[in-house]
Amino acid sequence: MEPSRSPDSLVDAHYGRLRRLCRLLLGDLEEAEDVVQDVFLKAHEAARFGQPPMDWGAWLTRVAVNACHDRRRAGGWMRFRFWSTPVEDTPLAAEMLGPVDAAVGAETRRRIWEAFRALPRRQQEVFALRYVEEQSTPEVAAALGLTAGSVKRHLYRAIRQLRRSLGDRT
Amino acid sequence: MSRCLSEDALARVLAELATDGERAHLASCAACARRSRRLRHDLTTITGVLRDTPEPRPRATAFRRRWLPAAVGLSAVALALLLWVEVAVWRAVTPVPPTMQPQDVAAILADVSASLFSLTGSPATAATTSPAPADPDDTPITLEAMAQELDRTLTGGEP
Repeated sequence: MEPSRSPDSLVDAHYGRLRRLCRLLLGDLEEAEDVVQDVFLKAHEAARFGQPPMDWGAWLTRVAVNACHDRRRAGGWMRFRFWSTPVEDTPLAAEMLGPVDAAVGAETRRRIWEAFRALPRRQQEVFALRYVEEQSTPEVAAALGLTAGSVKRHLYRAIRQLRRSLGDRT
Repeated sequence: MSRCLSEDALARVLAELATDGERAHLASCAACARRSRRLRHDLTTITGVLRDTPEPRPRATAFRRRWLPAAVGLSAVALALLLWVEVAVWRAVTPVPPTMQPQDVAAILADVSASLFSLTGSPATAATTSPAPADPDDTPITLEAMAQELDRTLTGGEP
């Protein structure tokens, strides 16, 4: 579909999306930016030396998800980093009060994040790609190397768990 | 009229896993349609939070506070273990100096006693053997003889 795109245009088109996806999967922005840089390096190598993929979007997503797997598998250091982060370094809610922050209370946000982190890794990936990245079920299946049925089952379990995190607030 | 869908059935609809019957019911039931809309709204909220808000990090001070008693307890146990090793194990491997037997103590005391109370200046002889004096000069002098000798000296040899 887009095999002849230049590296710069790829970065422009996909950097923000991949950074958001990796931050969601890794839980750490700096780590996510490292991973995304590695992904674009691989894309550059693939475009220069190998066979450029037919669909760069799906290819980049798949490589990014696999890179996040590797990082998570490698890193117990991240937990230590979180534990040792001083409270003063955590962002104040008032500094970044967006529309979602204004509409949803801090306690609800905390419960949503906890519920998301409590999901199995695969369910996190499926939910992030299907709802946060708004990809179709076949696209998610292609990116994760799953069947469409498997994607739907993971999605169903994730929706059920995340919905419970909100309780009976409505 | 069929029964209304459960929460799980509504989640199945969103995940494209619902049966034809469940979908048909949803299309015809206003209450279930309302609940389904609410579920979609909740998912929109969840998605918005995950996409647009920073993930709250665990509070470091709370973590420290939670683990402080455990750390203190572990330190106490480690200290007790160290003391036990010192007392039980170290002592077992260290050679103990031989203790003194009662007869040795008695011999030493006899030597000391002989040295202190001997009039001949020969503690070993006094302590170990007491031979009969062969020479009258070697006879131990008595207090009475000492007194007579003193009188003689003071009176110039006159009784």
